[in-house]
Amino acid sequence: MNAISDSVRAPVRSSMRGVKVREALWGYGFAGLPMAVFGIFFIYPLGYAVYISFFHWGILGHQPGAAGTYNYAKVLHDPVFHTALKNIGEYTLGVVPLEMTLGLSLALLINQKIRGRNFIRSAFYFPSIASSVAITTIALYILNSDGLFNRIIGSHTPWFTTASTATWAIVGLNAWTTSGTIMLYYLAGLQAISNDVYEAAALDNTGAWRTFWRITFPLLRPAHFFVLVVFGVGALKLFDQSYIVSGGSGGPNYATYTPVLYIYREAFSNFDFGVAAAAGIVYFVIIFVLTVVQRLTVGRPEAA
Amino acid sequence: MRMRVGVLLGVVVALVLLVASAQAGTKRPAVTNVTLAGWSSGPDEDTLLQQVVNTFNSTHPSIHATLSIINGDYPTAMTARFAAHTPPDVFYVDSSVAGSWVKQGVLEPLNSFIKASKFNTKAFFPKLLGAFTVGKTIYGFPKDWSPLAMEINKGMLGKAGGKAPKTWAQLQQVAQTMASNNVVPGGKPICLSADWARMLAFIYQNKGSLSTLTSPASIAAVNFYVGLMNKGLAATPDKLGSGWCGEALGKQKAAIIFEGNWLLPFMKSTYPGVQYGIFPMIKNKTGGNLAFTVSYSMAKDSSNKQAAWTLLSWLTGRAGQKLWVSKGLALPSRSDVKAIGGRQAFLSAAPYARGWGFANPFFANAYTVMGNDLNAVIAGSKSVASMMSDVSSALKGG
Amino acid sequence: MTLEAAAAAEPFIPGRARSDVARKAILYGLIVCVALLFFVPFLWTLVTSFKTIPDSINVHLVPHPWTTSAWRAMWTQYDFKLYIKNSFFLAVVITLANIVLGGLGGYAFARLKFPGREVLFLIVLGTLMVPDQLRFIPIFVMLTNWHLIGNFSGYILINLVTATNLFFMRQYFLTIPKDFEEAAKLDGAGYLKTFWRVMLPLALPAISALVILQFQGTWNDFVWPLILFGQGNTAHYTVQLGLASLNFQYTTLWPQICAGSIIAILPILAIFLAFQRYFVSGVVSAGVKG
Repeated sequence: MNAISDSVRAPVRSSMRGVKVREALWGYGFAGLPMAVFGIFFIYPLGYAVYISFFHWGILGHQPGAAGTYNYAKVLHDPVFHTALKNIGEYTLGVVPLEMTLGLSLALLINQKIRGRNFIRSAFYFPSIASSVAITTIALYILNSDGLFNRIIGSHTPWFTTASTATWAIVGLNAWTTSGTIMLYYLAGLQAISNDVYEAAALDNTGAWRTFWRITFPLLRPAHFFVLVVFGVGALKLFDQSYIVSGGSGGPNYATYTPVLYIYREAFSNFDFGVAAAAGIVYFVIIFVLTVVQRLTVGRPEAA
Repeated sequence: MRMRVGVLLGVVVALVLLVASAQAGTKRPAVTNVTLAGWSSGPDEDTLLQQVVNTFNSTHPSIHATLSIINGDYPTAMTARFAAHTPPDVFYVDSSVAGSWVKQGVLEPLNSFIKASKFNTKAFFPKLLGAFTVGKTIYGFPKDWSPLAMEINKGMLGKAGGKAPKTWAQLQQVAQTMASNNVVPGGKPICLSADWARMLAFIYQNKGSLSTLTSPASIAAVNFYVGLMNKGLAATPDKLGSGWCGEALGKQKAAIIFEGNWLLPFMKSTYPGVQYGIFPMIKNKTGGNLAFTVSYSMAKDSSNKQAAWTLLSWLTGRAGQKLWVSKGLALPSRSDVKAIGGRQAFLSAAPYARGWGFANPFFANAYTVMGNDLNAVIAGSKSVASMMSDVSSALKGG
Repeated sequence: MTLEAAAAAEPFIPGRARSDVARKAILYGLIVCVALLFFVPFLWTLVTSFKTIPDSINVHLVPHPWTTSAWRAMWTQYDFKLYIKNSFFLAVVITLANIVLGGLGGYAFARLKFPGREVLFLIVLGTLMVPDQLRFIPIFVMLTNWHLIGNFSGYILINLVTATNLFFMRQYFLTIPKDFEEAAKLDGAGYLKTFWRVMLPLALPAISALVILQFQGTWNDFVWPLILFGQGNTAHYTVQLGLASLNFQYTTLWPQICAGSIIAILPILAIFLAFQRYFVSGVVSAGVKG
């Protein structure tokens, strides 16, 4: 990394320091604008949410006097919040492996030299393009108790409104729509593996499955990590589908209640902004801890 | 020289006078802009509401009312606008959220306006006006209302004896006949919503109430309601491939449903071929029904309160309401406006209709508990007693 | 020799030269099935948009009768023309802003050294973890105080740049050989010129990827527009808000909803088809090499 500054040997040391200072200033300048946006619209709101969480805050502002840890206690003792955490845990543990497997499988399929690669790639990516509202509306219709899906498999279950299947219906829906995007990330990872590796395996007469499992899969580690973090956090932030599917109620029987839906309802249905902020902070901490754990266990990426 | 200046001056003065008189002659009164917001339950209502607003505008040249229909999530949208202090001047308030909106301080008390313009509030049905009154302060006027009635598919009823049930026992009997003779192929005789906004009527019919939810009477009512489903005589709309019972009636997946006046325009536009009759709500120990009503209210943060009052009082006055109910999309909330024909079955419920969600500031939260718990009870994973105690404490703010 | 050649040509199943045809047939069959699976719902949506309301409740893939009334309603009754214009405006403005700011930031974090760079970058990554819904309330209150609610300005302001885009650009800049910058330096170019004239053009694949992803993101955004400016003032409606407004309380106009969904998807599809070859190579180098 120091190759450049070393190669451009400045005769006077202060001039070199001057170069470094100039570089730093430009660095701050370039990074400053985005950082300002992040600072104003992410860090400040986070801090403000912390502030709000210590008050009884209604639509038109806060009531006088701080509430202390009242809001936090309310959230942490709320059985609905516990249910929401359980739901999102189940959901994430269900959807992430599924969509990763699906995405990887699609990538493997596509990676074969077949005709119409571009077209098929577009087809697989298609569900990722559509908006949440559009896709969920379509899905609601297809997974009706007498919709397309049930006609094909001969069932009558209303998938989204049965407490035991609602979460899994959303898992299926989301895995289907994100698999296209994940497929692209894995495709990239597959390109990075050189053919020499496969030639060596061929020389050793390694079978297809062992080649994949012992060689390809481990070599995809950077891809696994990227997808796991990005889409794991994404899954934890589930809101759109649960809102649309349950009409905002988080039902049936709290089956589609997610922590983010909890925050949303507290704010916009019960007008208790203080509790909503407290719930938000609690959940942020949870996501943060989980991400750190992920980083430490699944391993550090090469050049974060 | 002086003459020229004089002439010039004279011309200028003349011009000024001319312009001034021209201005005076065509001087338009200042127009106050007022915004009106609401939702609509169907495209027909959209059109009618716009028509009503247009009529207001043409009869009140100094005020221009603009209508915005908010579909999707009205309470959220309104919350955002309240917090921004830029609410619409006049807007719908559903009776189930009136309590909490009053508590949040976003509605303007109307008493001073009523007094100043000597507005007659006696014409409103007292129970309906009571939904928007806290203590002695009035926060809105009901714009219309609807109770529940029973709607039955004519053909299917004919196949089951042709007599509409009047009591719980008769309801069960008719449904049983329908089921035995497979009168509703692919569906169920009765469609029942997993919604307290329907089931509560049954609780009232058994002499239960919101304050006595844990009483045997209330519990028995719920058992009857859910029992119909367990006996295979009824099902929730989603099991009938529908979003609500009205749709089930239209798709002919149910013969008997319990819905309000809003069913009529829906059936007319979406399922015009289905023949159905409207019958009064059934009773058990007594009559019991729910009154769904929405008010026009004024925003505390409105910047044109006087003009907003004019709009509000016209919309809920005799003339405005007459126009609004003329298409039969809702029933009048005033005793001096007649409903259009064919609504007798709804109107006969008036004595028994109790307000839905009236004046309780915890209602929004309680309603979520109600819905989720009832789903659990229907699925068999929760006991009725447990649901009743959950709902009771939710209504008290627990 | 033949074996090795075969192995080289088939990276996944090396050493199995026979039953090639059968395997290929199964592969193609599988792919076609999956592709169909992915396409059928959209085909159905398209078809339903041409049905009448009573017919739309049926699952047939052929409408009887055909009608374009839903599409006409989109244009006349619901003003989707305006919604498309609004969505387009927002998507273009925000995408451009992200390219510039994400590019500047990404370049700085990739190539310029300044004290505290690692810490600042960690903060950038940290913002990925803040759920939107947590920001709703504080941002809402903030924008209210600045009177930026009810029109596009608040929404644009908060979306000027996202951490994902900055991160993405940074990863891509890391893969560009340093020779180009050195050459520019020797030519006497300053930092800004180097960025604008040299680095940004070199990052074209990444920019194309960003265009697709950000355009799509803004186009499909529902909740923020709903809260920030989607309050009944249909003049400001985006396509997503228009679509959501088709869900009336008691009437579901499926043909109209389907027509609206198609309208919502088409522009994104167009952009994807146009940019997809760049997109894959952009994602390839930036996303996964670390």
